[in-house]
Amino acid sequence: MKFIAVREALILIALACLPAIGEGIYFRDKISWQSPIPASELVAVDQAKAWGDGAIWVDARPDDEFAQDHVPGAFSLNEDHWNELLPQFLPNWSPDKKVVIYCSAASCNAARDVAKRLRDEAQLRDVFVLQGGWEEWVKKSK
Amino acid sequence: MKYAWRIVDLIVGGIFVYAGVSKVLDPAQFANDIDNYKTLPWFVSVRLAFYLPWLEIFCGLAVIFRFFYRGGLSILTALIAVFIGATVAAKMRGLDITCGCFGHVSKNWNFSTHLVLDFAIFAAVLALSFGNSRHRVEL
Amino acid sequence: MKTSILTLTLSIFLCVAARAELKWEQNVIDLHPALGDKTAVAHFKYQNTGTTPVHFKSVKASCGCTTTQSQKEVVNPGEKGEVVATFNIGDRTGQQMKTVTVQTDDPNPSQATTVLTLKATIAQAMEVKPAFVYWQSGEEPKPKKISVKAAKDFPAKNITVKSNSPNFESKVEPGRTSGEWTIEVMPKDTSHPMGTALVVQSDYPKDAPKSFSVNVQITNPPGAPPLIRAGVPETSPGLRPPAAKAVTPAALPSPSPATH
Repeated sequence: MKFIAVREALILIALACLPAIGEGIYFRDKISWQSPIPASELVAVDQAKAWGDGAIWVDARPDDEFAQDHVPGAFSLNEDHWNELLPQFLPNWSPDKKVVIYCSAASCNAARDVAKRLRDEAQLRDVFVLQGGWEEWVKKSK
Repeated sequence: MKYAWRIVDLIVGGIFVYAGVSKVLDPAQFANDIDNYKTLPWFVSVRLAFYLPWLEIFCGLAVIFRFFYRGGLSILTALIAVFIGATVAAKMRGLDITCGCFGHVSKNWNFSTHLVLDFAIFAAVLALSFGNSRHRVEL
Repeated sequence: MKTSILTLTLSIFLCVAARAELKWEQNVIDLHPALGDKTAVAHFKYQNTGTTPVHFKSVKASCGCTTTQSQKEVVNPGEKGEVVATFNIGDRTGQQMKTVTVQTDDPNPSQATTVLTLKATIAQAMEVKPAFVYWQSGEEPKPKKISVKAAKDFPAKNITVKSNSPNFESKVEPGRTSGEWTIEVMPKDTSHPMGTALVVQSDYPKDAPKSFSVNVQITNPPGAPPLIRAGVPETSPGLRPPAAKAVTPAALPSPSPATH
């Protein structure tokens, strides 16, 4: 009886692979297979710095944190005052620039949320989230 | 009595087919839900997100239509036991979990509701596994 | 000897029986703030169903956009209370999820930390997509389309479009269903980089119709300095203007994708 159950289970496990693989092929371009933030959307501090003037920096943190300190030349763009800050940011953007967005640390979601809105609402391309956020920038700038 | 067992077959099988279909429709969201448990790396979570719902559907159908019945029931028992274990472990770590047996359909359920339902399903599959062998109804 | 054993047994029994337990009515609260609401408030109710008092060690929100208030610091057995989480909506839209982590002195680690989740679906009166259209400097001035969709509980019948700059022309076409429109916008000339806002004016509500805006731009060629926008004072990079303008139908509109 146990052997029958094992054999049946193995057959079901194998059968389920077929539609799963089919669905994976269907979604292959729509899902990130290696990281929750697609690798193509993350950038390390060193790489972002190497872009020089080709990068435009965006600070997704609240106003008071931005006012305390921020990446030199960065634009404040957060969801608290999106409607006010977006029109200030856009004139400084051009299609040849890479947008690098950061929030306080790797664990915060604000940069991801701002990146998503810039991609969806403003339909900007080349929008990246800074790996490690402000914390990582400060560490690498010491 | 044997028809009562058959009804339990249909309910349990139906629950898993429904749960599987709800997750097949949005594998990206299910991958995020698995990732929320913080027990598996992302590249494993995303592959499981594609595979597990189909396994649930096939096993649910196996229980409903009584083909590969024992195998299907064994897999469902193991799946629900793992779900319960992962949910309790996540709760102990203070994680916000919005995924249980029903993926994002259960997004508004709190921890207690999740656990009660998961245990009820677990009890049902165990009952079918051990109590049903004497009451097999042939299609 | 017998007395010692009895005392020890009773002590063990009392220690096991004495427990603190904060039971939460709901760990996840789903909110649907109305159009125009500035905050969404969730009341997480609890009760101490244990036999010893529970002390709150900390109540922390996952982001600065959510403030928390705990009614009590100590909850005695049988007492009820609530943690109030106020989510400041700001200019957020769509599905939002914020968490509040509550730490207590419960000796049971699975009970000592509770994560409360506030989910809010922020409605938008009008969805304007994309909120930004641009042409590169020197590019052929072809028209670009913007779709406007009114929310179900925002019964606007018509929209009009005005531009701050004479360089941009626009045309409104009704969509397939009521409450949907397509705006076609085109610059007359793309030789000079410039940016401005198109104001999309609805006809609802009648006494103070709401307006929304779309940013339009002729972008700089590579390496050029930032543009000056028509109708927006130039400020230092990243800083907010000294005073935000309120939007009224008659005044110059503030250049924002959605205004209230």
